[in-house]
Amino acid sequence: MLPAAEEAVYFDGVSARRQEVMVEPSPDGRALRFGREVWAVDRLRRIEGEGLVLALLTGEGDELPHDPARLVLDEGPLAAWVRGAAPALERRDLRRGTWGKIAGRVALAGGALALILFVFLPRISDMLADQMPLEQEVAFGDAVVGQVKSWLGGDGVAVCSAPAGLAALEKMERRLTEGQGLTYDIELSVMDHEMLNAFAAPGGRIVILRGLLDEAETAEEVAGVLAHEIGHVEARDPVRLAFRSAGSAGILALVLGDVTGGTVIGLLGDHLMSASYTREAEAAADAFAFDLLVRTGIGTEGLAEFFERIEGMGGDLPEILSTHPASGNRAEAARSAGGDAAEPVLTTAEWQALRGICGKG
Amino acid sequence: MDHAGELKVTYRGDPAKLFPLALGTGVLGVITLGIYRFWAKARIRRHVWSKVQVGEDGFEFTGTGLEMFLGFLMAVVALAVYLAVVQLILFAVGIRFVFDPQNEMEEIAQGISIALSFLAVLPLMLFAAYRSRRYKLARTRFRGIRLAMENAAGGYMLRGLLYLLLTVATLGLLWPLMTFRLEAYMTERTWYGSARFRQGGRWQGLYSAYFHVLVGIGMLVLSAVFGAVAEEWMAGLLGVMGMIWGMVGLVIYRVRAFAYLMAHKEMDGGLGFRAEPRAGSVVWLYIKGVFIVGLLGGIASAVIFAPLGTLMVGIEDASELMMMEIAVVGVLSYLLVLTVFGALTLVFINQPILGHFVGSVTVTGAQALEAVRQRVSDRGADAEGLADALDMGGAF
Repeated sequence: MLPAAEEAVYFDGVSARRQEVMVEPSPDGRALRFGREVWAVDRLRRIEGEGLVLALLTGEGDELPHDPARLVLDEGPLAAWVRGAAPALERRDLRRGTWGKIAGRVALAGGALALILFVFLPRISDMLADQMPLEQEVAFGDAVVGQVKSWLGGDGVAVCSAPAGLAALEKMERRLTEGQGLTYDIELSVMDHEMLNAFAAPGGRIVILRGLLDEAETAEEVAGVLAHEIGHVEARDPVRLAFRSAGSAGILALVLGDVTGGTVIGLLGDHLMSASYTREAEAAADAFAFDLLVRTGIGTEGLAEFFERIEGMGGDLPEILSTHPASGNRAEAARSAGGDAAEPVLTTAEWQALRGICGKG
Repeated sequence: MDHAGELKVTYRGDPAKLFPLALGTGVLGVITLGIYRFWAKARIRRHVWSKVQVGEDGFEFTGTGLEMFLGFLMAVVALAVYLAVVQLILFAVGIRFVFDPQNEMEEIAQGISIALSFLAVLPLMLFAAYRSRRYKLARTRFRGIRLAMENAAGGYMLRGLLYLLLTVATLGLLWPLMTFRLEAYMTERTWYGSARFRQGGRWQGLYSAYFHVLVGIGMLVLSAVFGAVAEEWMAGLLGVMGMIWGMVGLVIYRVRAFAYLMAHKEMDGGLGFRAEPRAGSVVWLYIKGVFIVGLLGGIASAVIFAPLGTLMVGIEDASELMMMEIAVVGVLSYLLVLTVFGALTLVFINQPILGHFVGSVTVTGAQALEAVRQRVSDRGADAEGLADALDMGGAF
């Protein structure tokens, strides 16, 4: 029943000498015997190699809990018997305390990364963003807008340019910016995309997506959203965010082993769109918007209505709503900021022209 | 010729065994967002190491995915701090030039800032190269005896930077000096059990291997000269020829330098090597491999992307949920195709070339092995986390 003794090669783990040994199972079938060694079958572990390479489980060991000695059997009756008789031949043993070690290291690395991502990086990026000269920021903004453009549609979406619409847009821009003492030279544009969104890029670039014009019911609503975005621009939020995502995307790519490459650039555009400005930044932009709307006589009612209507919609939230779970409060806040409309932003005809700026409908 | 004490080194890899392993571990890597890649690497190394045989005896890789993962966690923190700071500063300084170079000066500045961001990682890459080799050796066993490399990555990094500078300053003329000295630095710190390795030979000995690269460099220099005196077609022709000549020369150099350096290594007790790899075979294996990978990979892509194609029909009036599903399927298909190509490359390009190099080696004076004793295990080898984080582990 037990297989006969066979020749095998033994490395004793002490010297590199190759030793020819005769290996036989012990009479009770619970061990392998050769030379002066007795290897218990239940402690045998298979090592990857030609033939059947065996190691013996020990409590000590080094990187593996194995004794350094190796026994190499040819594929034959004895090897076949060992495969059947050894219960844990293929087990990959873990030393006690391994899970604790893993948890400790993961926590440590996670904590350090979090510290870098959420404390260190924001500080540095804010510092660097504040020191960035204006003309550099404008060049950067143009690049980001270009990036977003190609991100929105495969070969880039059209920038809308119906003349009457542009004129209406310009009128709205003047109403919001003229005489307000803004640091930035705001530059508005509309892109032909169905997404309901508007976002601010570095350098005073503000982009409205057509979906927003389709959804808004009055020019005052659009003006309200723009006032909010101008708030971001004046606070330099987009530059900070860009710096932050450049840093964190790099780290993310590092951690994930960057399967496809080029995560960094791709994320940048995405970040601005679905934006994750901090709550404080959003609140500050709101406050700025309310103030601006009151001062320009546009009134906050449009923005309040916009908040209320959008809140009921599901799906992807535009940036303006993203970090504010409760838009209802914002609508109230907008109303209580007061300021009745002194004079409409656009005439009905101009509003229709603005909605048709992409040459549709 | 006396062949006593000689052992032939062979590689017994089998595509039919390696491919399922590479593909399976690759798919697991995608599913686990890349976490499994450490275990994948360990499994593939265990397989490949065991197929390298000296005489009758195989190598063994004892590294584990877990320790590589833990090493990576440590490395990534250090690296994240370093890179985040360096990259952000460069980003801030270089941003204007990168996006909108106004004039020639700024175009130069753009180039410099991109080069700087590479240079910032260079010391780390050298450091990691040494640590990675050290880890691999520390986790390699032959006849039950451990290999090891001393802890000296810092010295390697400094020397690497110095020789790199010399090489660049001499337009590549001193490359063999760098190759030789860096390899010698590692070899002299390599141990098999109680026996130490030495690197013999001289760095000038590499110049016959380097000949074709020199020809290529010469052509490029001539091309620059012609360019300066406005012989543009001549400059262009020489430039292209120099590039091609230099590239082929580089392959020849790597193969012959391997042979030279290997043949001049010696272990305590008089164990040595002979190596006869052939540049022609390496190039042929590469071309053949690219062809096979292209063919099989093409078929696999077609099979994987075909269902996606049928989904795309009628995407115009699909619901938003459908669109999302299609997008997810698309991304997964893409990652799957990448994985298939990765596995094919490993099996049909990397493995045959490795096999050729390994198979070209013969061990001489093998009786020296009898005297080798075990050494204690090296727990300081940091599981090459840094090398993995910098994506420079190489194929195996």
